[in-house]
Amino acid sequence: MNASDNGTASMEGWDSPLIQARDLSRHFHSSQVEVVALDGVNFDLQHGAFSVLAGRSGSGKTTLLNILGTLDMPDAGALNISGRDVLKLSTAERADFRLMHMGFIFQAYNLIRVLSARENVAYVLQLRGVARDERLRIADTWLAEVGLEGLESRRPDQLSGGQQQRVAVARALASEPDIVLADEPTANLDSHTGEALMQLMRALNEKRGTTFLIASHDPVAMDAGKELLMMEDGRIVEQHRQ
Amino acid sequence: MKHVGIYLRLGLRNLWLHPARTGLTVLALAVGIAALTFLTAMNDGWMQNIRENFVLTEVGHLQIHARGFEQSHKIRDHIPDTRPLKSRLDSEPGILAWTERIRVSGLASAAGANAGVLVSGIDPLRERKVSRLADFISQGRWFGLDEAHATIIGDVLAERLEVGLGDKLVLMAAAPNGDIMSEVFRVRGVIHSGVMDIDNLLTLIPLASARKWLGMATAGNGGEYGGVTDIVIRADSFADVNPLKQSLSAAFAGQDLEVLRWMDIDPMAEQWSQFADAYTWIVLAVVILVVLAEVLNTMLMSMHDRIREFGLMGALGTGAMQLFAMLMWETVILVCIGGLLGFVMGGWASAYYGEYGLDLSRFATAFSFMYMSPIVHPQLTFDGCARILGAAIIGAMIAGLYPAWKAARLEPAVAMREI
Ligand SMILES: Nc1ncnc2c1ncn2[C@@H]1O[C@H](COP(=O)(O)OP(=O)(O)OP(=O)(O)O)[C@@H](O)[C@H]1O
Ligand SMILES: [Mg+2]
Repeated sequence: MNASDNGTASMEGWDSPLIQARDLSRHFHSSQVEVVALDGVNFDLQHGAFSVLAGRSGSGKTTLLNILGTLDMPDAGALNISGRDVLKLSTAERADFRLMHMGFIFQAYNLIRVLSARENVAYVLQLRGVARDERLRIADTWLAEVGLEGLESRRPDQLSGGQQQRVAVARALASEPDIVLADEPTANLDSHTGEALMQLMRALNEKRGTTFLIASHDPVAMDAGKELLMMEDGRIVEQHRQ
Repeated sequence: MKHVGIYLRLGLRNLWLHPARTGLTVLALAVGIAALTFLTAMNDGWMQNIRENFVLTEVGHLQIHARGFEQSHKIRDHIPDTRPLKSRLDSEPGILAWTERIRVSGLASAAGANAGVLVSGIDPLRERKVSRLADFISQGRWFGLDEAHATIIGDVLAERLEVGLGDKLVLMAAAPNGDIMSEVFRVRGVIHSGVMDIDNLLTLIPLASARKWLGMATAGNGGEYGGVTDIVIRADSFADVNPLKQSLSAAFAGQDLEVLRWMDIDPMAEQWSQFADAYTWIVLAVVILVVLAEVLNTMLMSMHDRIREFGLMGALGTGAMQLFAMLMWETVILVCIGGLLGFVMGGWASAYYGEYGLDLSRFATAFSFMYMSPIVHPQLTFDGCARILGAAIIGAMIAGLYPAWKAARLEPAVAMREI
């Protein structure tokens, strides 16, 4: 199921970075003002990274994450993910690329509200064509892994905010993506719950080697990162391990 | 399409998420479809009723005329002798009964007044097997056997001429050779049919008297044989009309005869069917509108609630076609449940009143000129159901396509920013 099995990434793919972003820029035109959300972003992200993308509100974190997640397109620049030039993909191909290579965790409204926790996790597996019994088994395994054993049949509105985020983590990981992109996953949680969520993701990163890129200006999240990327005015001004 | 199952399930659950909204929509759809199903059945029942009354009152399912009579309506264009046709008409399958008439317009004079009339010479015995004219007697009686100078006239005409039972009436009309002939008749009966042309104009006399009066009897008899203007046929059913026309036209080809169906005879019949068509189209347009308004409203509300969720699903890799399918499913489910319920309700009402009749006698006087009986039996036909179903599907398609198309075009990143 892992993309590296699909032959898209060659052996040398393991040596080269998972993400290579070059001079990415993104402008928004809203009511006569031109907003430069990304102003030449350059960085590499290695396989197995657990990186936090930090920066003030409006610095461009979400914009960058959307572009890395192929949810949005840059105006200029180059972007290579898993050895693939994702900017050349069509809309439908991008949807497919996300399905096969990406996991997402958002700040809120992460779950389909008419589906149970188990069905939410199984949903992406179903889109990938995993057979019913198999995907339900995988979903339950992952829900147990994130500490939600016994809550598999609950709908999102019967779960706490922290539990919902854990379902989102389980879903992001269940399809064994190349990378998990998380946009302010702890923003709606109290600091204790937020820290627990970060520890969970970090533990999964260490155990499974899954790559994480987490956008956040939450100090708790920033402390948990193995690597910090600082954004300022649409640029990455600093990248260091901690 | 991939993963139909999950989008069907998602659709059902999303509808179930708002039971009140979904329930109201389904109910409104059901009531709308039920009402329109019933109206369609009423219309079909009405039309059937009108056709039947029209045909059985006087006209018959088919008539045979001498060629040219239909245009000229002149008695000179008559069939000189019907005896050669008799064996074929008696043996033809699909014919329940047939009779002969002489129809001519003329003038009636009584002591007090005159009026233009439509004289119809009829065979008193055979006429009763073809038309209901005898059933409309409101005063007096039908013709006795061998009664020569008797006449039965419409009640409005009787009033206009100020005549009653037993009074004398002088009828004047042009014979085939153009001579004006007059003859005295005595009023033996008055009929009330509710049909204006009959009550205002019709003057029945025995066929034999008509032949003698107008000089149309074959030489050497008292009017038993001779010329007629119409052969009037009552078929076993409406389904026999077209086959009979074909078979009789072929049988009598080369005899200078014309076989006409009931709808060829009265231009009003044509107008009825146009009216019925127009009515059908209006009903169908209303079906489409009802479905469209109900479903579009509900689907747009539901969409608005879920923009973020669509964004999320798109972000997770759900394709545009899959989002489209999910919303189309919701529309289809809504329309199917509402439509089915409506069909059941409307069908039940149609069947019930089809059996027991819907009494509209309070409005009957307004309708009677159209051969409409005051008790309507709605008739649910396969065609009627299929048309309504088709219209509902078209309405649902239009209503479903727009929200589904909008959802499919959403950019996940944009949709996710919506609160
Ligand atoms: N769709 C858009 N239309 C117009 N302007 C936008 C759009 N998306 C982002 N922007 C602008 O681009 C800039 C960067 O926004 P972005 O959401 O990436 O910041 P952020 O770092 O994620 O902020 P926050 O921490 O508040 O989430 C901001 O000035 C924002 O107003
Ligand atoms: Mg943001």
